[in-house]
Amino acid sequence: MLRNSNDTLNGKRIVFSEATYYKIIKILAELKNRLQAQATIFADMNGYPIAYDLKVEDVDIIELTALAAGTFSATSEMAKLIKEKNRFRFIYHEGESRNIYMCHVSKEYLIIVLFDKSVAMGMVRILTHNTVEKLQKILDELSLEYEKTSQFLDVEFKSLLGKELDKYFGLK
Amino acid sequence: MHIDYFRKEIQFKIVYYGPGLGGKTTNLEYLHANLNPDIRGELVSLKTKDERTLYFDFLQLKLGKIKNKIPRFHLYTIPGQIHYSYSRQIILRGADAVVFVADSQPVRMDENLETLADLEKKLILHKYSLDNFPWVLQYNKRDLADSMSIETMQSKLNFLNVPYHQAVAVNGKGVFETLRTAIELLINKI
Ligand SMILES: Nc1nc2c(ncn2[C@@H]2O[C@H](COP(=O)(O)OP(=O)(O)O)[C@@H](O)[C@H]2O)c(=O)[nH]1
Ligand SMILES: [Mg+2]
Repeated sequence: MLRNSNDTLNGKRIVFSEATYYKIIKILAELKNRLQAQATIFADMNGYPIAYDLKVEDVDIIELTALAAGTFSATSEMAKLIKEKNRFRFIYHEGESRNIYMCHVSKEYLIIVLFDKSVAMGMVRILTHNTVEKLQKILDELSLEYEKTSQFLDVEFKSLLGKELDKYFGLK
Repeated sequence: MHIDYFRKEIQFKIVYYGPGLGGKTTNLEYLHANLNPDIRGELVSLKTKDERTLYFDFLQLKLGKIKNKIPRFHLYTIPGQIHYSYSRQIILRGADAVVFVADSQPVRMDENLETLADLEKKLILHKYSLDNFPWVLQYNKRDLADSMSIETMQSKLNFLNVPYHQAVAVNGKGVFETLRTAIELLINKI
């Protein structure tokens, strides 16, 4: 698996404990409520949503997050082209009725806020920035743990997964 | 790979790499059109004419619970054009396996080789290399009359003897087989 060097350390990688996960969810819920936002998502730059709080049902969070991470990659390229040393701090898209605000939390993580047109942009910036600081504090305190993948994915799981795939793929 | 212990999901990322116009997007289009809609998402396709070009295609597969866990696969294609080099590097981040879609036309061999060399360069940036990373070769466009022999393609591209499939992505030949092999490789690597 590809990971950035600062994501792994001697075979260890960041694993969010249950307690940390709930801390993050709580922070996201708080932001969502204060902004009356449709969704607040904490995601990694590989495009995986890690934790989120939603009010909407009609948005595919996995796809939204993949696109958000892709947008960051595209704009990082733009930053490079105009000789910006750092990436752009935030990306904002304004729609007819909904807006998206995305912001770096660290090199590896981002936050995505989906909100209604009626919410003042200034509020979104201030409160999201405040949330980012809280999330950064949590990330700083995280300890690296060995990932318990083999326990999650045992031999039986692998073989059942293979069978499922063959069925759906019409193979064998 | 990302494990979501709370939703009991395990997510994998597979990246379709290869020269521009080799058939990467076509692979995803075929998968999207032919998979049971219950297990796949929409094809998020960002074509260059789009006003906000984001430079990749994305398709997710989500299987039902297996031993109480939900496996998900996120499939991405990279943009072939040289000036999107940095995007390619970022899309490759966190990949668990790569499908290298090679174009079988003789005039495209140089580009196959250049793109493979580019993949190796990007893997090294992520502290991997072609010989310790799960990847599969797909020789695409086998339907074209002037396509090179498999022996030629093998000798030029498959110096590491990785699994390969012959394909005609436009009609689906080899598309499922290639993805299946990529998944097999990444699972065995865990
Ligand atoms: N003849 C033939 N054409 C193909 C095949 N696969 C893809 N193509 C065509 O090649 C062109 C480029 O394909 P595309 O998937 O967009 O390439 P990408 O740049 O790698 O994403 C399209 O016109 C496809 O229809 C194939 O197996 N045979
Ligand atoms: Mg394409």
